Amino acid sequence: MENQKFYYDNKIVKLFVLATIIWGVVGVIVGLLIALQLAFPIFNLDLEFTTFGRMRPLHTNAIIFAFVGNAIFAGVYYSLQKLLKARMFNDILSRIHFWGWQLVIVLAAVTFALGFSTSKEYAELEWPIDILITIVWVTFGWNMIGTIVKRRVQHIYAAIWWYLATFLGVAMLHVVNSLELPISLTKSYSIYAGAQDAVVQWWYGHNAVAFFLTTPFLGLMYYYLPKAANRPIYSYKLSIIHFWSLIFLYMWAGPHHLLYQALPDWAQALGVTFSIMLIAPSWGGMINGLLTLRGAWDRVRDSAALKFMVVAVTAYGMSTFEGPMMSLKFVNQLTHFTDWTIAHVHIAGMGWNAGLVFGMLYWMIPKLFKTKLFSEKLANLHFWIATLAILIYAIPLYWAAITQWLMWHEYTPEGFLAYPNFLETLTQILPMYVIRIVGGTLFLIGFLIMVFNLYKTMKSGSVEDNELAEAPALVLQGKRNPLQETLHRWVERRGVRFSIWVFIVLAVGGAVEILPMIFIKSNIPTIESVKPYTPLELEGRDIYVSEGCHTCHSQVVRPFRWETDRYGEYSKIGEFVYDHPYQWGSRRTGPDLARAGFVGGPMYKNAAWHYNHFMNPQKMNEQSIMPKYDWFARKDLNLDLVPRKIRAMQMLGVPYPEGYDQIAVDDLKKQANEIVADLKESNIEVEPTKQIIAMIAYMHKLGRDIAPPPVEVVENKAPQKEITLLESAEDLDAAGKIFATTCVACHGADGKGIATFPDLTDDEWLKGNSPSEVYQSISNGNISKGMIPYKDQFSEKQITQLTSYILLKLNK
Amino acid sequence: MKIVSNLLQDIEGIQIYYIIGLLLFFGLFIVILVRTMRMPNKEMEEIKSSILKDNDSEEIATS
Repeated sequence: MENQKFYYDNKIVKLFVLATIIWGVVGVIVGLLIALQLAFPIFNLDLEFTTFGRMRPLHTNAIIFAFVGNAIFAGVYYSLQKLLKARMFNDILSRIHFWGWQLVIVLAAVTFALGFSTSKEYAELEWPIDILITIVWVTFGWNMIGTIVKRRVQHIYAAIWWYLATFLGVAMLHVVNSLELPISLTKSYSIYAGAQDAVVQWWYGHNAVAFFLTTPFLGLMYYYLPKAANRPIYSYKLSIIHFWSLIFLYMWAGPHHLLYQALPDWAQALGVTFSIMLIAPSWGGMINGLLTLRGAWDRVRDSAALKFMVVAVTAYGMSTFEGPMMSLKFVNQLTHFTDWTIAHVHIAGMGWNAGLVFGMLYWMIPKLFKTKLFSEKLANLHFWIATLAILIYAIPLYWAAITQWLMWHEYTPEGFLAYPNFLETLTQILPMYVIRIVGGTLFLIGFLIMVFNLYKTMKSGSVEDNELAEAPALVLQGKRNPLQETLHRWVERRGVRFSIWVFIVLAVGGAVEILPMIFIKSNIPTIESVKPYTPLELEGRDIYVSEGCHTCHSQVVRPFRWETDRYGEYSKIGEFVYDHPYQWGSRRTGPDLARAGFVGGPMYKNAAWHYNHFMNPQKMNEQSIMPKYDWFARKDLNLDLVPRKIRAMQMLGVPYPEGYDQIAVDDLKKQANEIVADLKESNIEVEPTKQIIAMIAYMHKLGRDIAPPPVEVVENKAPQKEITLLESAEDLDAAGKIFATTCVACHGADGKGIATFPDLTDDEWLKGNSPSEVYQSISNGNISKGMIPYKDQFSEKQITQLTSYILLKLNK
Repeated sequence: MKIVSNLLQDIEGIQIYYIIGLLLFFGLFIVILVRTMRMPNKEMEEIKSSILKDNDSEEIATS
């Protein structure tokens, strides 16, 4: 048959390549900034726009959607045209896709810095941008499927199956997870609440890993690895088996992010089982990739592109073994909420995703610009620096995770937590955070070397925007002859049917997990004492959500003794029925706050403490790494939105009385004035409409509804037992350590009291300053003033040591 | 959506979906495995090599 002439659209590939490089540098720099912030809080710059809570989603989104996203599109647009022997379906769709995606990225960067966030991990963008993403994504899919339809080859090669699964999977995940009720242009509430929201979010979150960071990359691997090695893929049969297995299994694995949390056991078991099963298809892909290089390892020695691809496939194998292991419930105790997860995702992100992108760019750009790579030596230098960077980044974080977890559940021989102050467990791992910065810096240096190398390469050649090619027209084969054609080969030449099968396989897992959580009431048992948020608490919650506080503070206590002793009662599903969205978090850089409003509990702090802590956390404890939030005391609440928020909550099923929206602002002011009066007693003057008042109200709501009524310690009128002060250096040193990690938060390092908290070095003691009286004060606390009974955290000997330290050392 | 809700609530022990999911997977997996392994090797070799036939796969050239 006569060949048809056509032109490949190389310009769109070039645009996506340039965007990949530019956004990659931006994403890594922001990553470096947040790594610096965790080790040195001064890098929060004391600006509301640059706090860790706002910058962390900027980093994750920049890397995932800007750097990796543009790389996927560059790789797909290049390989799809070559594989199908056709130009992209429509140039206008290609341009809408490119510029629309860049617009999404810019809007994301701006809105995150301004504090507009839904707080749902990797889906933090607000509803107008969600709609824009949907439009751009559909444009991409339309363009891709259109190209498949007008192709000049009979069968769709394996790489394209993965591209199709990517398009369909992400479309499904994005739409379902982003269902939200808009309040204003910049604020919405998730339609799901609590445990339902958590299941939907991690069905999305885990599958964002699957269908944005895995399936498209497997597609790229199936094209670029054989091309770079000039060898066919090892096994086409294996590619069929691992394709269908992987896309089916991934959709079920999401609940492994919620183990031991407030979720029905059956959902947790489902997540664990399917996560373990995922090892098989994942390793099928890895083995297929590595064995493709059989007999071609000499080429790996000479080519930086292939080296990066080998590291990528190896990192994929490591991560997809580690992931299922982290899903085992016992292992998950350690890995969840610690830096283990951060190390895990960076092995995958820096090794698998970035590695394959680097390999692809080193191979593709010389082809695209019809020239030679400027310097293979520089590319090899980049390879070794990047590989070293991954190790220097990840190893300290694994170390940090194990260290912190061991400290979290360490007990003294007397049966008390050895490190009751969370901050102690954090300051211990700060040196690891410093080493992590070295790893990140090295990775950035390697990246910049690549930018220089590719810039010189591009400059030495030129892109043929419309590259002439020719191929015979496609003659459709017609009906299947079962004797001559296998079922899969038949499906491979029916693009639309193939897509429908993929959609069905993807839909099963999500439907089985999510529908029962939404429609079967027994899965979400309610608790009668749990009441909806007051308007002021809701305002505080909205600020907490938009500031990204969940990036450091979880709000779910797992049923372990070492968690309930530290934070209070474990969390139940019914506590979260009014939480749109849920705020359980996934990493504890700060303590869990689920019981921050539990008066008399270990996490309770009074209004004055919260005020001072928000204004300057380092003043309360100089080792704290929390940024200042002093603008909370300057910025006003937007009271105009309050009635609309109440109506939205009513629409989502929150049982506010009919017409409550009309009096909600009055209720808000009444509660705010009570907090203002409380603060005034501590000589703190602040207006009731300031954001800090709402934040204090929200902190005091957390866990309050399921807490037993506070039990005031009854004054013991009987003669107090005699306390003999301990004068040995050993005792005073032990007490000094406890004072420095616990008491310092309110009383300061010198005991003179921070802000309005009592001076322990003067004679004005509320309950006397004899040894026995001081012992009793520490032991029983002063709940109304925010001091908890330390007899629940320290042994009698430790309290005697503290008494001695205060009276002998601080009052000498 | 009420009909979906009612339907699901009538099902005793929704956990059955867990088992159904596993059976579904293993059933399909075995079918795909068997059918795939029976595909002729010669055909597979042709498909695998097809992407290398555009003269675009020489070694990376360096300056």
